[in-house]
Amino acid sequence: MSELRMSRALASDMVAHLEAERPNEGCGILASKDGDVVKVFRMTNASSSPVRYSLDPKEQFAAYKKLDDEGWELGGVFHSHTHTEAYPSPTDVRMASEDVPYVIVSLADDPPSIRAFRIKKVNWTDAEGEIEEVSVVVDG
Amino acid sequence: MAVSVRIPTVFRKYTEGNAGVELEAGTVRDLVDQLEGRYPGFREQLLTSDGELHRFVNVYVNDEDARYLDKLDTKVTDGDTVSLLPSVAGG
Repeated sequence: MSELRMSRALASDMVAHLEAERPNEGCGILASKDGDVVKVFRMTNASSSPVRYSLDPKEQFAAYKKLDDEGWELGGVFHSHTHTEAYPSPTDVRMASEDVPYVIVSLADDPPSIRAFRIKKVNWTDAEGEIEEVSVVVDG
Repeated sequence: MAVSVRIPTVFRKYTEGNAGVELEAGTVRDLVDQLEGRYPGFREQLLTSDGELHRFVNVYVNDEDARYLDKLDTKVTDGDTVSLLPSVAGG
């Protein structure tokens, strides 16, 4: 199982954003450098839904540009499950497009649980894929 | 000077790992054709069977979303940067 490392401060930042987005799912991306998460990009859920999320395309473009400008990598995509477990839903798998860890935070748990997964597909538009858990290490 | 096309990570397996490609000016549709010529099979990752842009693909010409310009008929000229972005979504 590969690893996603982030500090407590960044994990708290990510969770705070997702809690603030309730009752809707919240979302964003993580920037990483040399394997460590270095920044949390809090982003707008363009779907504004308690069961769906989509990154606002304009924000996504700006964030990806910032990653390039700073020499960061796309370290992960995060979103919340407001009432279900921190595990990829069929919708998460069907719509998975990036080959990076998808971090899912379940707000049904107290404290919120944080897990991450890679979703491996043959073609990015495939409805199904293989789910592989990525270890989330929060420290420092 | 050519048109610089930025390829996101998820599409690089279709472009022999290349993150950037230099192509000739024309329209966004012409760029897709050029990409298909260079990397057979790439077109079907970007377009539907009707020849329209897949709704989960965002195309930016410089800082503008091509959907709000002329979509696949959006003109691109030398010096422009075209970025392909997959939609990121789930539930």
